[in-house]
Formats: sequence, C-alpha cells, structure tokens
Amino acid sequence: MTTGRQADAFALLGLPARYDLDADTLEQAFFARSKELHPDKFASRPANERVAALSAARALNDAYVLLKKPASRAEYLLGREGIVIGDNERIDPALVMDLLEEREVLAEARHAGKLDEVERLQGAMKARRKAAFAELRTLFADLESDRPTRLAAIKGQLILLRYVERYLEECDSALDDE
Amino acid sequence: MLMQIAEPGQSTVKEACKQRVVGIDLGTTNSLVAYVADASPAVIAGEGGPLVPSVVHYAKDGSVLVGKAAEAKAVELPRETINSVKRLIGRGMKDVVDFRAMLPYEIEGDDRAISVKVSGTRLISPVEISAEVLRELKRRAETSLGGPIEGVVITVPAYFDDAQRQATRDAGRLAGLEVMRLLAEPTAAAVAYGLDRGAGPAGRYAVYDLGGGTFDISILKLVDGVFEVKATGGDSALGGDDLDRAIASGITNDALSIAPRGLVAQAVREARRVKEALSDAESVEFHLHVSSPAHARADVVGGSPGMTIVHELITANAERIYTICGDVLPSGVARLTSDRTTCVGCVRAAGTFVRTIDRQRLAAFAAPLLDRTAKACRRVLKDAELEKSELDGVILVGGSTRSPVVRDFVTALFDRPILSDLDPEQVVALGAAVQADVLAGGQQNVTLLDVVPLSLGVEMMGGVVEKLIHRNTTIPAGATQTFTTYADNQTGFDIHVLQGERETVDACRSLARFMLKGLPPMVAGMLRVEITFLIDADGLLKVLAKELTTGTSAEVDVKPSYGLSDEEVERMLIESFDFAEEDLAKRNLAVERVEANRILQATRGAFASDAALFDDPQVGQDVKTAGETAMGVLEAAINGEDHLAIRHAIEGLDLATKPFAQARMNRAITAGFQGVSLDEAEAKMAPPKGREG
Repeated sequence: MTTGRQADAFALLGLPARYDLDADTLEQAFFARSKELHPDKFASRPANERVAALSAARALNDAYVLLKKPASRAEYLLGREGIVIGDNERIDPALVMDLLEEREVLAEARHAGKLDEVERLQGAMKARRKAAFAELRTLFADLESDRPTRLAAIKGQLILLRYVERYLEECDSALDDE
Repeated sequence: MLMQIAEPGQSTVKEACKQRVVGIDLGTTNSLVAYVADASPAVIAGEGGPLVPSVVHYAKDGSVLVGKAAEAKAVELPRETINSVKRLIGRGMKDVVDFRAMLPYEIEGDDRAISVKVSGTRLISPVEISAEVLRELKRRAETSLGGPIEGVVITVPAYFDDAQRQATRDAGRLAGLEVMRLLAEPTAAAVAYGLDRGAGPAGRYAVYDLGGGTFDISILKLVDGVFEVKATGGDSALGGDDLDRAIASGITNDALSIAPRGLVAQAVREARRVKEALSDAESVEFHLHVSSPAHARADVVGGSPGMTIVHELITANAERIYTICGDVLPSGVARLTSDRTTCVGCVRAAGTFVRTIDRQRLAAFAAPLLDRTAKACRRVLKDAELEKSELDGVILVGGSTRSPVVRDFVTALFDRPILSDLDPEQVVALGAAVQADVLAGGQQNVTLLDVVPLSLGVEMMGGVVEKLIHRNTTIPAGATQTFTTYADNQTGFDIHVLQGERETVDACRSLARFMLKGLPPMVAGMLRVEITFLIDADGLLKVLAKELTTGTSAEVDVKPSYGLSDEEVERMLIESFDFAEEDLAKRNLAVERVEANRILQATRGAFASDAALFDDPQVGQDVKTAGETAMGVLEAAINGEDHLAIRHAIEGLDLATKPFAQARMNRAITAGFQGVSLDEAEAKMAPPKGREG
C-alpha cells in the first residue's frame, strides 16, 4: 500500500516495536521527528538535501499512518513476523455466513429507512470492535506463552476487524444519507 | 508573544542574507500582502489601507485599473469591471452555472476553461485578471520594502482542487512572482493565531473561513510550533458573495433572477452594505434605485418564446414590488401585464425600492447557505475523528465572519469559544508571510503539516475510480498499488489520474492522462503494472508507472488538464501567438497515432486468437468483415496528417467490433468462480471493482 517500506516504522518514529502504545505517545514522537525532517526546513538547502528530506518526511508520514491506528499497528507487527493478511483471506465458513447475514439485516434496515435500527446495529457492532481490540491487547501482552497460536489468533481478530470496519462504514453512510 | 529564534549576535548576519519574501492573500473580494520583520508578521498598507479590492477595470483605451480605482467604475461600467474572478479561476463553464447569471459581466468558455468577455469582444482569462491584482500587490510590497520581491507564498482555499491551484500559481508567474508555495488559507490563519499566542496554548481548533467566494473548514492541532492539519473540507463555490446574493434575492422576493445585470449588481452591493451595517445597528433600510424604464425590458431577455412569466419584479415605482404577468414573444421580449403596467417590455417610471431589514430577517435569508457550511463542518469533524466538544475553540476567518448573523450561527453550531481577536481579513496574509519567512530560511520554530484536500486516484475498468491517496493524508505522501491488464496482448497501459471523492470517473476531475507503452504482449491479467503517486510538500503530484516483469516505466508530473496549459501561460508571457497552434496540432497527431496503432495491434491480436467467436450467432462473420474494413480505414488515417480523421476512424473501429468485444467480455466474466472467500462473496453483492493485487 505505502512507500518507504524498507525502513522500520517504529524505528522512524523512535519508538519501541510493540502493540501497546497510546495515541499521545505516537503523536509526540511524530511531531518531534517532523520538526527535524519536514521539507520546509530544507527549502533553502542544496537540491540533494531537499530530495533526501522529502523522502524522509514521506517515510515518516507513512510510518505514522501505519502505526497510528491499533488495527494497522497490529497488522504491521504481524508483518514483521512474516505473517501477511491478504485481500481474500479464508475464514470459518460459518462465520462468513453469519457476517453476510448481518450485512443483509443492516441493508434491509437501511433500505426501509429505519435509522434507529441502523443506529442500534451500529452500537452493537462498535461493542464488538471494542471487544476485538481488548482481545488483541491480551494476545500481544502474552505473546511469548505460545507464540504461533497467539499470532494466528491475532490474525483471526484482524481479519474479523476488517469486516467489522466495513460494516461500520456502511452504517455511517446509511446515517449520512439523512 | 513571539519567540526569538536567531541567536543574539547572529541576527544581523541572518537579516543580511535573508531574502525579501512576502505572503499574499489573494481573496475573492479583497487581497493584501504581508511580510515578516523582526520575527513578527505585519501587513503592508498602501493608499487607502492594506486591503486592495480584487477588482480589475479594463478601460476602452486599453488601460487597466486595479483595486479601489477599479471598484469605482463598477456601477458605471459593470461589463468592463471584473470582480470575484477567484470564483472562475481554474474552472470550466459547467462549474459556474449557478452564479453565472449573477455576474455583472459576461463570460464564455467550455468545460475546460472560462474567459471573461470585456467590451463585448476582448477575451481575458481569469489567470490574467488575477495576475493584475498580484502585480498591484507586488508593486506595493516593493515600494514599501524598497527592493524587488524574491519570493512569495500565495494562499488558496483549502478546498481548491489541483486545477484551481495550478491556475493560481500561473497567475503568480504571470505577475512576475516566484511562487515558493501555495498555502491553505485556514492553515495560514491558524499559524498567525498560534504565533500570536506563543507556544502556550496547545490544542485542537476548528478554523471556520467564510471568504467572499469560498468556504473552508479545517481542523488543526497546535503543539509547540507544530501545526498539524487533521482534516479539511468546504465548498469552493460558496462564500460571502452568495450570502449577499441570497439576501438581495430574499429582500426582493427573487425578482432579481430576471433583473438586468446592472440592477443585480446594485442590489448585491446594497445587500452587503445592509449585512455589514447590521453588525452594529438593529435594523437598516435597503434601498434600490431603479433609474430607467429600460431596466424592465432586459428583465425577460433570456426567457424562451412561449414561456409565461409570473413574477414579482422590482419596478420603478417606489416602495413596492409589482407582480408582472406576461408572455415571452418570439423576439424574446416579454409582453408584460399587471395591475399598474401594461406594455411590451418596459416599466414606466423611475424610483426607489425600500425595505427595512432587521437581524432576524437577515438570518432567515442567510440560513439556507449557512446550513450548507454546517454540513461541511460535520463531515470534517468526522474525518478528524473528533467530537465538537473536544475542540478548544473556533477561529473565525474571512470578512463574512464579521457579520453577527454568521457569528451567532457558528457559536450555536460548535458551542465552543470563538477566537476572533485578530482581524479576520488580515490573519490569512499574516500567516502566509510567516510561511514565506520559514521557506526563505528565517524562523525555524514553525512546522506545518498540511494535507491533500481531495482524494487522488486512477481510472479503472468500467469508469470507476480507485483511490491511491485519500483526502486528509499528510503531505509529503506516497502510495503504490499494482494493477493488471484487462485485454490480451495489451501493449499499452492507459493511466488516467483523477481527483475527487466520488466513485465514478465523470464525477471526478481529470488531472492527467498518460500511457505506459511498449509492454510485452501477454494474456490479460498476467502483466503487473505498479503505479506510484508521490506528492511533495507543495501538494504537487508526480505519477510513476512501472511494468514489473520487464521494468518498462514512465512518469509524469501532473499538471491538471483544466485551466490553462503550460504552453498557454508561456504564450501569454511572451505575448506571441505564432507557433503555438502548429505545435498543438503536431502533438494531437502524435497522440492519436500512438493510440491508433495500439488499438490496431490489439484488435488484430484478438481477431486471431479468438477467431472462433465469429462463429457465435451473436457475433457473426460480417462483424469480422466490418472490423477488417474499419482497420483498413484506420491504417489510411494513420498515414494521413489529420488527427481528427484518426479519432473518427478509431471510433468507427470501436463501433464495428462492438459485438465481438462484447462476446469476449462475456466469456471472461463467466470464466472461473471457485473457492469463494467472503470478499468475493461480498464483491458479488457490491458494484464491481477492477482492482487487482
């Protein structure tokens, strides 16, 4: 998706590579590094320095985007372990059916213009998202107890979160129509 | 409070090498210039104060007036006196349909660009008109600072798209200015506020910027010299002008929509005066002088013959509005009939129309437009993932925010403290001056983290847009995505770069189009073309395309295909029209030949590999015959010199081979659906996307 993959995102921000990082810590690190690297600071420097600053700043911005959101941070950490989540990951067929059914319920509520129902579904799905993030925190905290199993479980949560996010986007667009 | 940045002893050295740079706020209604002296920004005043009305008057004798002198001609010569040109710059005719009728002067053009028609014949581009305003500001700055200006930061609405930005940059160039940066107006305002308060108040602020012709809303985080734009949005065709027009229309019961231009301009000016006067007074009288009977004649010019008009019209007779009913005659002039006037196309006496307006009525007239700004505000809060309660304050920018009606509205909307102690008409120029100083190597304690205001993507199969960089991504930014071919033996890959939030190509703005050529012929879906978007700190986009198996690559610096081309600006600069047309013809011919050869090759390949499809009754052998004939026509056209002939022959070939292409497509669609994942299952429910990899 993004450029500058060669440099480690955590290293670019000067932070330890771990899941449990709060938004303020990330932001402080990003601002501090931006002050040093922003291309505007190099506007009156020689061309090669300007070009270097430009790609450094781009890599920094990418790193911040990758790490800012917990789901994408978790995905990035998995990537460091050599585990990639593709676009068409298979998950439990029963879960596929459940999720598709839930989407259908949402689509029907939307189609019927029942916005309070859409809001209720949105609330329920947000609670599920929250639970998934709590689960991720637990899994990462206790990673060493059984690494392969935990990593697989993290991957499962992340795939689930993708569908949860897509569902929530649909809720948003349904509520936006009004 | 401002911070001292240079080391004590070093400051003289720094001052000596420092370039003479300024910040310019090029506004819809007024413009001004500011610079930084001793680490503190200040506006440069000229005759009659720092504001220069963004008005240019083109006199019959060829002379040009700018600013107040031009504004003074507006009543007498509305067609030669151009205001609000910022609403036209970088736009096409279809972008301006809503307010075209309200302009006191004439414009013409196409979907690509607009020209202002002065004195009935002379066509002048918005870029040239803006350049006149910039020249005036440059003159002021040079007089005040005692030497040539070496660089400038010009502000633009955050929501300006690439075409509007490019046109603004061109205007600067045309005025002989070195444009170091275009800066978003709300960001500039936030910088001015942030510096004014020193490093103290960190926090999140909304900047509500209602200018003369544009509305911007941005949300920024300020921490210790860092200004991070979290999200930005707005409406680049909504501003105080519209507010004035809505007020004028409201007061006159919409009669202005059929009134002549001169009367409209007068009513809008009067509405603005009333709006401003209501800042202090509780109620104000609105006056409209209808001077000559001829006004009514023009009222219905533009009506279609046969149409019946039932409209309230401001007439000469003071103190009231008459209802006029009539039919539009074939000549386009209406036969007007009403209780007091019955004549063809004219109203009798002159007089003054008067209405008393209070704040409450003003608010009612303004409400529909202000509601539009509220919608944009809600969207931006959502993009920033913030609740309004998390904001520390709302900064008001733009002359229109002086109006209590607007202030009350913003206060009610956000329910947060309002910051308006810096002059809302100067704050943008002050921030621009600071950024110019930063870029010239002056103060280093300011870091601006700006964003792309609109998403950027490429066209996919089926006319949908795949976004590579989403709106509100911090710049500089980059993104890479891999695509594949959709036809067998495709040797060229057409890359169409688009800007906008919508999903379809025709609803987005086309920025550039280029072709990755010389690809090895392969089965559809085998080639991997990697497309990279790179945006620098100026917000300028570069697109690179690379085919991964052969390493064939191409790149292009995106210059929006709207507005003026580089060549056109160059042409204006040297004021020569000699060779440009010939160049254009040559370029068109080259482009069409490439396209034609690509299509010929692809069609021949498909005919050979899928000859069996001609046995399909839906296709038939005569499609093959027709296709071969059309290919012959195209080959002949390629050898000719007329690019239009090639274009027509390409279209002919397209038409002739349509059933064949359709059959191939159907076959491709029905081929293979195994091991369906949830994504694929969902994809079947959702509109199709052409992305790969």
